[in-house]
Amino acid sequence: MRRLFLIAATALLVASAGCGGSSSSNGVVNVTVWHGYEDIEGKAMTSAAARFNATHPKIHVTVTNYGNADYALQKVLTAIRGGAYPDIAYLYGSWAANIARSPTAVDLSSRIKEPGVNWNDFWPAERQAVQVGGKVIGMPALVDNLALVYNKKLFDQAGIPYPTANWTWDDFRAAAQKLTDPSAKQFGWAYVADGSEDTVWRFDALLWQAGGDILNSDNTKAEFNSPAGVQAATLLQQMATVDHSVYLDNGNDNYANLFNSGKIGMLFTGPWDLSSFPDVDYGVQVLPGLTNHQTISGPDQWVLFNNGSQRTQAAWTFLKWFTSPQQALIWSTQTGDLPIRASETQLPGYDAYVKKYPGVSVFVQNEANALKARPVIANYNEVSQAMGQAIEAVLLGKGQPQQELDQAADQADQTLATGQ
Amino acid sequence: MISRAARSEHVSGWLFVAPAALLIGIFGILPIGWAALLSFQNNDLLTTPTWVGTQNYHTLVNDPVFRQSVNHTIVYTLLFVPLSVGGSLALAMLLNARIRFSRFYRTAVFIPVATSTVATGLIFNWLLEPTYGVANYMLGKVHLGPYGFFQDPDQALYSIVAMTVWGWLGFDVIVYLAALQGVPESLVEAARLDGAGRWATFRHVVFPLVSPATLFLIVWSTINALQVFDEIYVTTRGGPLHATTVMVYYLYSQAFEFFHAGYAAAIAEVLFAITLVFSLLQLWLGNRRVHYGS
Amino acid sequence: MRWPLPFSPRHLALMPIAALMLLPLGWMLLTSIQTLPESRHFPPVLIPSGFHWQNYPDAWNAAPFGRFFANSMIVTLSAVAGNLVFCSLAGYAFARMRFFGRDVLFVALLATLMVPFQVTMIPTFLIVQKMGLVNSLPALIVPNLVTPFGIFLLRQFFRTLPIELEEAARMDGCSRLGVLVRVVLPLSMPALATLAIVTFLWTWNDFLWPLIVITSTNQSTVQLGLAQFQGAHQTNWTLLMAGNVMALAPMLLVFIIGQRWFVQSLASTGLK
Repeated sequence: MRRLFLIAATALLVASAGCGGSSSSNGVVNVTVWHGYEDIEGKAMTSAAARFNATHPKIHVTVTNYGNADYALQKVLTAIRGGAYPDIAYLYGSWAANIARSPTAVDLSSRIKEPGVNWNDFWPAERQAVQVGGKVIGMPALVDNLALVYNKKLFDQAGIPYPTANWTWDDFRAAAQKLTDPSAKQFGWAYVADGSEDTVWRFDALLWQAGGDILNSDNTKAEFNSPAGVQAATLLQQMATVDHSVYLDNGNDNYANLFNSGKIGMLFTGPWDLSSFPDVDYGVQVLPGLTNHQTISGPDQWVLFNNGSQRTQAAWTFLKWFTSPQQALIWSTQTGDLPIRASETQLPGYDAYVKKYPGVSVFVQNEANALKARPVIANYNEVSQAMGQAIEAVLLGKGQPQQELDQAADQADQTLATGQ
Repeated sequence: MISRAARSEHVSGWLFVAPAALLIGIFGILPIGWAALLSFQNNDLLTTPTWVGTQNYHTLVNDPVFRQSVNHTIVYTLLFVPLSVGGSLALAMLLNARIRFSRFYRTAVFIPVATSTVATGLIFNWLLEPTYGVANYMLGKVHLGPYGFFQDPDQALYSIVAMTVWGWLGFDVIVYLAALQGVPESLVEAARLDGAGRWATFRHVVFPLVSPATLFLIVWSTINALQVFDEIYVTTRGGPLHATTVMVYYLYSQAFEFFHAGYAAAIAEVLFAITLVFSLLQLWLGNRRVHYGS
Repeated sequence: MRWPLPFSPRHLALMPIAALMLLPLGWMLLTSIQTLPESRHFPPVLIPSGFHWQNYPDAWNAAPFGRFFANSMIVTLSAVAGNLVFCSLAGYAFARMRFFGRDVLFVALLATLMVPFQVTMIPTFLIVQKMGLVNSLPALIVPNLVTPFGIFLLRQFFRTLPIELEEAARMDGCSRLGVLVRVVLPLSMPALATLAIVTFLWTWNDFLWPLIVITSTNQSTVQLGLAQFQGAHQTNWTLLMAGNVMALAPMLLVFIIGQRWFVQSLASTGLK
């Protein structure tokens, strides 16, 4: 017992000796960056910071992995609450509108007009996603969009031609049916049916293609239960409950591994998944369409937090450097992520990037089909949850499109009316 | 004399509990007080909070998802506690014998408790996957199923019960094994010599002697079951269609998806009240039945 | 009728249960020796192309895991020591001593378990911050030095001990502390081993609290290191599982050693 106590006491002493600090010393300004990257992206992040530090002697950037997804938000919120936040944090798109309300988040609206930023070079979806009520709350960090990824071998076996850029919903549904083989446990398509944002954003693309919208123009009323919404939900319903050509994923991302195992013919997915398909000869095509071939883009952001003007300025210098076309292309080439700027495609290194990641060029072109963005409002997540429950009910055969969407719209209207 | 002894017992009693009371006071009671205040606020953790009185509680009363979450929590607890406590006592009885490989068996039973919930979630996601999973494959062999498990709103909560009982059984077994060491073999042998059967020996000798551990496990498991979260977070995330939305999952999504921390705190206060009632009832009933030896 | 087989019938029940319980370890070991493409299959690949042991050194070198293990060990052993000392003291007082406010205090301690961490996380952070402990190992140790779980567990066990022994010791002039240390604790080895194992397990596996309160690599724990294999968009399952196996090893070791106390005491409590 006494020995254990000694161990404890020593442990306390040893531990308290090592303390960190990040204030400025000898003229060098320290900047901390929290990110959720692992593996290849994590290494790319560390090497970017090293390149920056080597060329900027007055600033020292330290990058830290702060966990993934939901946990990261809990960490950021606690840090903001305690005033112990970093200078820069990687935040998911759907949090932006909320984080923007914190007085600690720096409004970048005047800084993005500085020479060298070239704001309009970023994709429209990225720019929309950071504009919250007249503020600009971050710099684009990552951009995705949905395209149709298909297994060539399964198409060949079923004797059907590969998807084209002019595919309609009917073409798509018929192909999914032909690719389905219950005896081999093989499905034509997969859909994430957990009611989360994964469920909703794939529906959004269909909704927009049918000419509908999520909310009205001033974000005060739900519109997703329009005839366009019902049409989109009906497509999902028919395929899931009549054709049985859809594998319903319960949110654990089985669909990616199933696709890689040749069990699924087609996916609506983004470039982040391509590296999960090492064993499949896949093709990439724009989404099948109705009146058009719109897709949806899911941008994430770097958000700046105010730790005093000196550190804010240094953090801004880093972000400006990091999101410049040259650095962004280095990042894309190292990680396979899509270019965050249109002008990256004009740089000499771009061809090498496209060659290195087969299929990625379709995603880059597809960014032009990302015409609309999800509403950037504080209670978007609640609207999304209402929609997600409706779509999930339809997919599981537990409800009818019109009735479920109406009910969700009522809920969304209530949320929007309460406001924040 | 007596009163002085009693007085010194007051002092030494408090001295004994002082370090624990101090630490738990700071890290336990203070945060709870903060949460209680939070429940009377409109607070998003980002901007200046506003006082709203009991409004959060009024909203709760008419929130259908909240009511569902209370039902799910209670159903889950009423299934989980007896299954895990009863199951672990049976298993501990099996393990508490001088047989070959007993060390191996005990270690095996402990492994799920030590495994990270992320890994556990992955495994159950595979076992219980409706189309390709092992469970449906095996059940198909005996002409049962296929079942939807996590994907069927009518089965998801029970699947969570099965998964968590499996995961926590080893924990209760350890406590019971420790308690069984306090059962003198001489007593068991004496009962046997008196002609008592296995069941009678268990019922009248062993069971009463481990009853303090049973009370402990029931109170402890109930407190934990009412707060079940991790296993749901890594599998169903409250779905499908809210079928596994329990109280803590609901308050988590209110606080960290919808930024309604005040509302989340109000849910926590209701949960606190429910738990307190359960625990006090159990301790009160337990103290009349539990046998503390001597 | 005599049992006809040469082994105990208990094995017939215990074998399948053990198999079911070994599933996670089997799964982790299997994934940890696969290639990354093999790990990206569903249903899973059950017979990997070979033993890719390289995942272990790769996982170990992906981050300063030596440092993380040392940090986790410091934190965990401190928490175990703290719990053994403070829970014994408090558990004994609640079991055997009559003092003013005892029952109310006991319920108050239990009550601290009844509010979920998701709600108390932020105020706990603010308190730790006020103490100047953020981003240091004491931030992981101090709040875990004593748990209501341990107090309750030991209180229950202490109450089952034969009180005559304690009374006899007091007659011999032993103080309360003397009785606790010389009589009660030696008789409570199974319970103390249980508390030690459980505290070890919880502290070692704790994730959310370290994530929130630690912000630098130097002070990181094993679980924080493992989380880095799960990125925002991709998870490296082979390295994650190799890391998980390595993180599980100390816990298994502690359990296997701790078991001695469960078995040995069977013979040694002949006192009763």
